[in-house]
Amino acid sequence: MARTVAMFTDVSLCIGCRACQVACKQWNQLEAEEPEWTGTYQNHAHFTDKSYRLVRFFEEKDDKGGLQWNLMSDVCKHCAQAGCLEACPTGAIYRTQYGTVNINQDICNGCRYCVSACPFGVVAFNHDTGRASKCTFCNDRLHNGLGPACAKACPTESIQFGFRDELAAKARKRAEELKKMGYKNAQLYGEDQNGPLGGLNAFFLLLDKPSVYGLPEKPRLPQNNVLVDSLLSIGSALLVGIGAMVAFRERGGKE
Amino acid sequence: MPLLQRADWPLLIDLYFFLAGLAGGAFVIATIAHLLGGERNRSVVRVGYYLALLAVIPCPILLIVDLGVPSRFLHMLVSFKPDPAIGAATINIGPFHIKPFSPMNMGAWALLGFSALAFLAALSVFLEDAKRGRNLSALRTTVGVIGGFFGFFLAAYPGVLLGATARPLFQNGSFLGALFLAVGASTGAAAIALILSLLGQEAGGTVGRLRQIIIPVLLLQAATLALFLLRVGMSGGEGTPQSLALLLSGPYSLIFWVGAVAVGLIVPFVLQIVTRQPGLLAISAVLILVGGFLVKYVIIAAGQVVLS
Repeated sequence: MARTVAMFTDVSLCIGCRACQVACKQWNQLEAEEPEWTGTYQNHAHFTDKSYRLVRFFEEKDDKGGLQWNLMSDVCKHCAQAGCLEACPTGAIYRTQYGTVNINQDICNGCRYCVSACPFGVVAFNHDTGRASKCTFCNDRLHNGLGPACAKACPTESIQFGFRDELAAKARKRAEELKKMGYKNAQLYGEDQNGPLGGLNAFFLLLDKPSVYGLPEKPRLPQNNVLVDSLLSIGSALLVGIGAMVAFRERGGKE
Repeated sequence: MPLLQRADWPLLIDLYFFLAGLAGGAFVIATIAHLLGGERNRSVVRVGYYLALLAVIPCPILLIVDLGVPSRFLHMLVSFKPDPAIGAATINIGPFHIKPFSPMNMGAWALLGFSALAFLAALSVFLEDAKRGRNLSALRTTVGVIGGFFGFFLAAYPGVLLGATARPLFQNGSFLGALFLAVGASTGAAAIALILSLLGQEAGGTVGRLRQIIIPVLLLQAATLALFLLRVGMSGGEGTPQSLALLLSGPYSLIFWVGAVAVGLIVPFVLQIVTRQPGLLAISAVLILVGGFLVKYVIIAAGQVVLS
């Protein structure tokens, strides 16, 4: 296994230019889509099968009664414990040697289970090909020693690419700097490998709490429920079995 | 609020969950009836096994039609070049893969196993009926017991599958598998009772025995439904108040309260308790089937809605 790579998105540097979105579309040859009116500059409302990078625009009231404009370039998190990968019944979703998560389009049969298993709403269903699709971390570029197209295109270095350990150290330093500069709520999201989902390989520096950016505060691996739900089902099965045995038991001479 | 994608599970899937539950429930009841007196409960065994086979036949078709690439349905079980890293605890046997933490993969295996055993069980009944004196009871015991475990699995796994998603309503519920199993048993028993009464074969106390299953199983269905709602409500999970409101007081509340709870659960339960009249019991059985479908349908529909 090669050294784990990562993307670090620092929202404090994002200017909302959407060069990342365009670069992603170009490199991955994703078709153009009908624009969608979302009430902001954001297009589209969600990730789609043809938009793997998505700059989100959030308007929030700040402490002084003014408006705070939060921009964030969102992407697949390439979770260390990935809900989509665990859910996939076909084995199409796999972890690459770089630690990223990818969908093998030659295996995917379009069951769409991964779409609902992703805690971040990343995986989208492509109705044209009948398969699930999401950010590949520019797998082809990665194999040729290049970083993802979005990071390459970002003019402010809001999106950075590198080895995970190095990038995480950089991110921690940057978060401290921002705190010193007076951004009290500046925080890292997904950088901690002991945190939720074993850490995200695309992690973020946010200026406010995650829910402001439409991220779950405490993302959970959906498959953690399988054991308890199954045990409760077995309990239910035992009760049904006992009920049926009582109903069909031999009742001497009663009939 | 986490921003999620639409799940896009159409009615085909609700129908599959309903039929798989019914098939599993009917098979388990037939097996227990067979084990505790095959001759005495012959009509239940016969109808139960035939029904399980008939109900499971459309299941793979429904699932395959729903796939984005239907010709790749076998990929659920087989991949000829499996990647080494396709999930925790994955077992690769030759080209086959078993993913214990992917309920959809496990469910595909269970459907395969159950279908084969349901066929054998129905065949054993058919062969015995075709030639008097032939006794396949021992074979049926083996097939029935193994198939019974598959039947339970088939009825419950869709609930566990939903629980292993990131939808707020599903992932905080814990009791969906238990609820779906109870619904499978109630619909399976009700369908057997309905068919027996339509065939006029309710003699020998069989309908009374089925009543004795239906009543506690409906109670279990009500209890697991209540526990599911309570568990979601008290989980404090992100988005759960909104998801729960959709089901209990929002656009889906009418189907939920009137369809799944009042008409589909309380009315047939009361009928089973108060009456022994065959006509009313048949109506009760029909209502149990309707309620069993609606409770699954409405929970899945409400859970799929994208909150923003």
